[in-house]
Amino acid sequence: MKEHENLRVKPIQWHSEPDDDLIICRCEEITKGEIRKAVCDGMVTIKEIRRYLRTGMGLCQGQTCGKLVKGIVAKELGVKPDDLEPATGRAPVRPVEMQVLGKESEE
Amino acid sequence: MKRYDMIIVGAGPAGLSAAVEAAKHGMCVAVFDENAKPGGQLFKQIHKFFGSKEHQAKVRGFRIGEALLKQANELGVEVLLNAVVTGIYADKEVIVRHNDTVRHVKGDTILVATGASENMIAFPGWTLPGVMGAGAAQTMINLHGVLPGKRVLMVGSGNVGLVVSYQLMQCGCELVGIVDVAKKIGGYGVHAAKIARCGVPFYMGHTIVRAEGTDHVTGVVIGEVDEAYQCISGTEKQLDVDTVCIAVGLSPMSQLLDMAGCQMQTVSAKGGTVPVCNADGETSVEGLYVAGDVSGIEEASSAMIEGRIAAISAARKLGYLGEAPASEEISKLQASLEALRQGMFAPGNRGKIIEQTEEGIRISNSLLTKGYLEEQEIERFPGFHTQKGIHPVIECTQNIPCNPCQDVCPRHCIMVGDNITALPVVDENSACSGCGLCVASCSGQAIFLVNDSYDQTHASVTIPYEFLPLPAVGTIGVALDRSGNPVCEAEVLSVKANPAFDKTNLLTMKVPKEMSQKARFFAVKSSEQKG
Ligand SMILES: Cc1cc2nc3c(=O)[nH]c(=O)nc-3n(C[C@H](O)[C@H](O)[C@H](O)COP(=O)(O)OP(=O)(O)OC[C@H]3O[C@@H](n4cnc5c(N)ncnc54)[C@H](O)[C@@H]3O)c2cc1C
Ligand code: SF4
Ligand code: SF4
Repeated sequence: MKEHENLRVKPIQWHSEPDDDLIICRCEEITKGEIRKAVCDGMVTIKEIRRYLRTGMGLCQGQTCGKLVKGIVAKELGVKPDDLEPATGRAPVRPVEMQVLGKESEE
Repeated sequence: MKRYDMIIVGAGPAGLSAAVEAAKHGMCVAVFDENAKPGGQLFKQIHKFFGSKEHQAKVRGFRIGEALLKQANELGVEVLLNAVVTGIYADKEVIVRHNDTVRHVKGDTILVATGASENMIAFPGWTLPGVMGAGAAQTMINLHGVLPGKRVLMVGSGNVGLVVSYQLMQCGCELVGIVDVAKKIGGYGVHAAKIARCGVPFYMGHTIVRAEGTDHVTGVVIGEVDEAYQCISGTEKQLDVDTVCIAVGLSPMSQLLDMAGCQMQTVSAKGGTVPVCNADGETSVEGLYVAGDVSGIEEASSAMIEGRIAAISAARKLGYLGEAPASEEISKLQASLEALRQGMFAPGNRGKIIEQTEEGIRISNSLLTKGYLEEQEIERFPGFHTQKGIHPVIECTQNIPCNPCQDVCPRHCIMVGDNITALPVVDENSACSGCGLCVASCSGQAIFLVNDSYDQTHASVTIPYEFLPLPAVGTIGVALDRSGNPVCEAEVLSVKANPAFDKTNLLTMKVPKEMSQKARFFAVKSSEQKG
């Protein structure tokens, strides 16, 4: 984490790339460019990116894009993907409708 | 709130094995699975498994699953389906969504056996219908009986990519090629060889550049990669496909464990983020266990053993099993698990370049780059020898944990030995009867029977054949060599579908004598194969 604090003080200059319009998070329709931009805006952890853009917060809960987002952020920051802390696991791990969530069985 | 001795999340091979073991020791268990059917990945595995007898080698995966499920039912294990575990909280409180209600249950111990999810890669066109995970394609064909498409490109040459490629071909899809950025095929050589001899090209050191189409895939562009895995311009190649399957690895679905407060670690050799755990699979949260792919991507064979170890450890913790019998059982299972983790493809060898076998024989580079052995290479392996009359030729040339070929031969012609990763050796002094049991039992479809003196000018070659329809006796077709190239005319002499062969049919073809070490597959019409 210390390393990330260092990354935070070193601003990253935005430059566009040819595949910036590639959709990465399919559920929330977030593009590669938006993720790269978020890093330039100062988001340096997966948690922050997730709150900023909603990547991995849709129907599949990041099952599909989790590693892809990590790879893009790591590349932008110049670190190894495994050095980035994964997003925290939170309940519910699968989307649950509010009406179900509120309906507790008596058993 | 209902209380159980053990709550198991996931009814895959790991979860079901644990449930059976726990119930055997008298524990009150509940198993929850979000799917409508139990069995996890196991029910999609229609191929024969590797390993030894204790690992149920040569049994098809779904049959292992059926047996497990039957055992669970007989022991009265409660398996609740369509039951999503959405959270695990303090004091082992588990939240389950079942139909339209939410249930809270408590476990004195919990086993998380949630398996893994498929990795994806992003390229232009990856969101088009027709691009899918290889596991998803396997679910479509083997569980739902639906073809994903007609012409398929597979991305990824690991065992998942190879196994699914072969199964898609068995369903009648045309496999246009297998692409991998790696220079060497990642999965077992025997799996690659059975695809290569059908004429499927391997594009190693290639990547997918883009999928084309407006509302579904109508084609794909691949290209060779440089050191940084970027496509080298000018190497692009257009392929006519309607389906792209992605098999680039799996990631453990470990979110529930993170949520439950387990200490986590990210280990690339295990496929991603996994909980830190001891040899019994117990995490840093006491009484919370983990088994199977969620603890590190491996195999169903190992998942089943891990599940049992966790259940025994939990039984000991709760007093259902004494210290001594529990420890004895666990060490036996650990030895069995260790046996599976040996050989060239062992988890500890991931990413390493292995140039020779344990026996000191040079590995075939052609096998690793093109998917098949060159004819002259086979002679240096112990499964090859020439002899008068019918005899087996074993083209199994990498150290993998597997030995059914040794166990089934009634004449003891084949030897693997105590070390199950050793290469099979054909004993030159044994009298092979040509019964074909070895051919049908080989999980890698790597054994052939050759008779060089079928008549004055012809040899017979018996091959494992798992395609339908079976050609009729007398059919004249073409023999293909290991690379899938037609080499000569071949006449079908017999097709045997003995129940003991468990659906691996034995096709014997007559070929000119000089073709006996070349002919390794049969095609009805040459126009259906690559030229
Ligand atoms: C194409 C292919 C070929 C393979 N070939 C072989 C082979 O030849 N030999 C071999 O040994 N292995 C093979 N494997 C590997 C094997 O299938 C897996 O290693 C094995 O299934 C892992 O078992 P598991 O019990 O850990 O997980 P899974 O089988 O994945 O089961 C996990 C279960 O947990 C459920 N689940 C997940 N999350 C939740 C939740 N939150 N709530 C409720 N339920 C949940 C899932 O629905 C699933 O049923 C192959 C795999 C693939 C994809
Ligand atoms: S054909 Fe039968 S006898 Fe011959 S090696 Fe195979 S199993 Fe043994
Ligand atoms: S030859 Fe023997 S060891 Fe090799 S894959 Fe076949 S059964 Fe297994």
